[in-house]
Amino acid sequence: MGRLGWLFLIVALLVAVLVPQFLGSFWISLVIQIMVFGLLALSVDLLLGHTGIFPLGHAAFFAMAAYTTAILQVRYAQPTLLAAPAGLAAAVILAIIYGLAVRTSGVYFILVTMAMGHIVWGVSVTWASFTNGDNGIGNVPFPALGSLAIGNLSSYYYLVLAVVVACAFGYRALTRSPFGLTLRGIRESDSRMRALGYNVGAHKYAAFVLSGALAGMAGILYIYFNRFVSPPTASLHVSVEAALMVIVGGTGTVIGPFIGSAIILGLRNYVSGYLVNWMTLMGVVFIATVLWAPDGVLGLMRRFRAQLGMGPARSGSRMMVAGKGEDTT
Amino acid sequence: MNWALQALNGISLGALLFLMASGFTLIFGLARVVNMAHGAFYLLGGYFGLTVLRATGNFWLALLIGGVSIIVISYFIERYLIRRTGENHLAQVLLTVGIVYVLADIALSIWGGDSLSLPPPAFARGPIDLPGGIVYPRYRFLLIVFGIFIGILLWLLYNRTQIGAIVRAGVDDREMVNAMGINIDRLFALVFALAAFLAGMSGVAGGAFLALYPGAEWEILVLALVVVIVGGLGSLEGAMVGSLIVGLVDAYGRWLLPQFSHFVVFGPMAILLLFRPKGLFGREA
Amino acid sequence: MTDQNAVEVAELTKTFGGVHAVERVSMKVPVGQRRALIGPNGAGKTTLFNCITGSMRPSAGRIFLFGKDVTEMPEHQRTVMGVGRTYQITNVFLKLSVMENVLLAIQGTTRQKWIPHRSVENFSESIARATEELNRVGLAPRASVSVRYLSYGERRQLELALALASRPRLLLLDEPASGLSPAERQRIAEIIAQLPRHITVILIEHDMSVAFGLADQVAVLHRGRVILEGTPDEIRANPEVREVYLGKV
Repeated sequence: MGRLGWLFLIVALLVAVLVPQFLGSFWISLVIQIMVFGLLALSVDLLLGHTGIFPLGHAAFFAMAAYTTAILQVRYAQPTLLAAPAGLAAAVILAIIYGLAVRTSGVYFILVTMAMGHIVWGVSVTWASFTNGDNGIGNVPFPALGSLAIGNLSSYYYLVLAVVVACAFGYRALTRSPFGLTLRGIRESDSRMRALGYNVGAHKYAAFVLSGALAGMAGILYIYFNRFVSPPTASLHVSVEAALMVIVGGTGTVIGPFIGSAIILGLRNYVSGYLVNWMTLMGVVFIATVLWAPDGVLGLMRRFRAQLGMGPARSGSRMMVAGKGEDTT
Repeated sequence: MNWALQALNGISLGALLFLMASGFTLIFGLARVVNMAHGAFYLLGGYFGLTVLRATGNFWLALLIGGVSIIVISYFIERYLIRRTGENHLAQVLLTVGIVYVLADIALSIWGGDSLSLPPPAFARGPIDLPGGIVYPRYRFLLIVFGIFIGILLWLLYNRTQIGAIVRAGVDDREMVNAMGINIDRLFALVFALAAFLAGMSGVAGGAFLALYPGAEWEILVLALVVVIVGGLGSLEGAMVGSLIVGLVDAYGRWLLPQFSHFVVFGPMAILLLFRPKGLFGREA
Repeated sequence: MTDQNAVEVAELTKTFGGVHAVERVSMKVPVGQRRALIGPNGAGKTTLFNCITGSMRPSAGRIFLFGKDVTEMPEHQRTVMGVGRTYQITNVFLKLSVMENVLLAIQGTTRQKWIPHRSVENFSESIARATEELNRVGLAPRASVSVRYLSYGERRQLELALALASRPRLLLLDEPASGLSPAERQRIAEIIAQLPRHITVILIEHDMSVAFGLADQVAVLHRGRVILEGTPDEIRANPEVREVYLGKV
């Protein structure tokens, strides 16, 4: 990331830190959501932008963590220091089981993960005796982290900011590590990687579990914000939206998913106030992005800069280019 | 006794799923297109059929219009949107999901959010007495018959006619078929139209015992997808066998473990992933 | 150990539908030998390679690498055993830089590939080795360039570098000189000729001067079978070979 990028990041962080000081709870809420769903999108991008596989069921891990933490805190009155790690553990265990999906590839992987996500949604509805079905589980208290007192939205905001920034830096380290390079190699060519000595299946599986864990982390941040969880949290919409955020922002980067999250959530919040048919608008955004901006906002910026002669139009992924995977930039 | 009853439930659901899955799998096999909007086609076809039924009282007309209306919609979607994604499956998935959002929202504005059901035709109402002393809803039984009929028809079309042979060749090797001078675009259009018709028609058929409501487009799609995963993309036999398996597993799952019925569907899929990641009849490609 | 064959295939057969791409091929390549495989297109040479490396499973027969039966062994494990390979159709990572390509090749046979926290840039040893490999094929100045921007000839060089980077004991080269200019061809031939003698090299080539210049032994394949084996001089003198190429058979 160039000097301009770091500058932009520092400014963004500065703004983020100052939001609760100057803006009201609507904005604090919005930015928390952007960060939480940005983290979910980031988890999807580990697979999509870096490993080259497209999961369409990550809401399962998100919701699994949220439900587990909620149930432990609300129904069994467990402290945060137990409930939160348990929620994360639940998401990881699910990812370990669902990781079976990496035995499939291409379209099959998309469809399988979609079905897997749907199953978690279905169970959250039908196993009403445990999950409370459509009524959901509410009254989740603010997190109690030992001596750290989180009494209101503003304090929680800073906790979320800290956790998300920490995750982002960890994620960045991961993508720059040999493991990250391995994933990118897999993204480019499974078969060549096998010929180079890599157990591609094992790496994909590890990436999948890590991705599930990150999604679970986002789920935990979510539940203490929303303090209510219900089946829609596990729905396909959530998984699909996370993927859209990745695409809109630009795959293969750390900041892309968060940009995408900001755009999608910002758009939704702005538009749903005026438009009853905002779902149609979401659909149109999908369609438009796929057809005209497959590299996302970052891709558009890259191409723009290239046209201005400010550097090559290097793109991080070829996932979304129409045609037989050719590179058109 | 209950076992037999549930088996019939499973088979009738399987019949419906077959109508959905067969079209989806053939489109993929021939054109390498993944169309998530297939579920929306089901819902819209059902809604159109319902409107026709309310206006005319004729169930057959409803079936027909339900199917034909989707042929039209599918044509425009394929021609102007899907075609632009080439063979990029990721793009296709996202594009068609976006289309579902749009279609579902429009449907919501027109038909509202309540659960609607189509009254079956007079001759198909009430119970039917089956051997073994089983009393079963006549409509669902006829659906099984209908499903088998369509299955046989499709099988004959696919395996015993010239056009079917061309489609099979196209599924196998598209470039070759093109090189032989056959208009591949027209072939695509034909298969797309057939799949669209089946989807729309199954919306009407399904709406008579499953009801139509916002969200149904995803429920039916996921079940059809599990069928296709289990059976193998591009295989008609796979769709037949897969629908039967998924239908039966779903029925027994709902009966024996109602709280985990969705999870039970995972079973065949998981076992399959362990041994045949490309489905029972899946192709190497 | 010294009497071991680097590669031994026994009655190897690979069929695709009705086509016998490789039919009951038996061959032994001693350690350190330079063997050329020649034959017209479709003779089964690449398929034979694929079976040896493990990217394809044979329909029948057995494969031994350094005395070990590897017929059931997955491809990546064979690479770790010491197999390196280039492809007829260049198979490099287009969207990654030249350096990243070679690093992947180096990492592939080490535990390094699992490390998730330290940046790749910190592994100075690997980077030094990568630079060494790049120097060998003359690509060091292009290290940070994305492979997309490399010429065809440069990509072929990278292809070779990837195969050599993991320090293989057995090297399978599939038409390494194909599509190259005479000067580039010469360079590739030199690189191969200068490889340490303990490395066994099996080479598929259509360019006879490259193939015969490098080989100790030549095997001629035709329609999936080995029809002739001998020294380059013996093969050159044999009329049957000419017939095979000119299509009389």
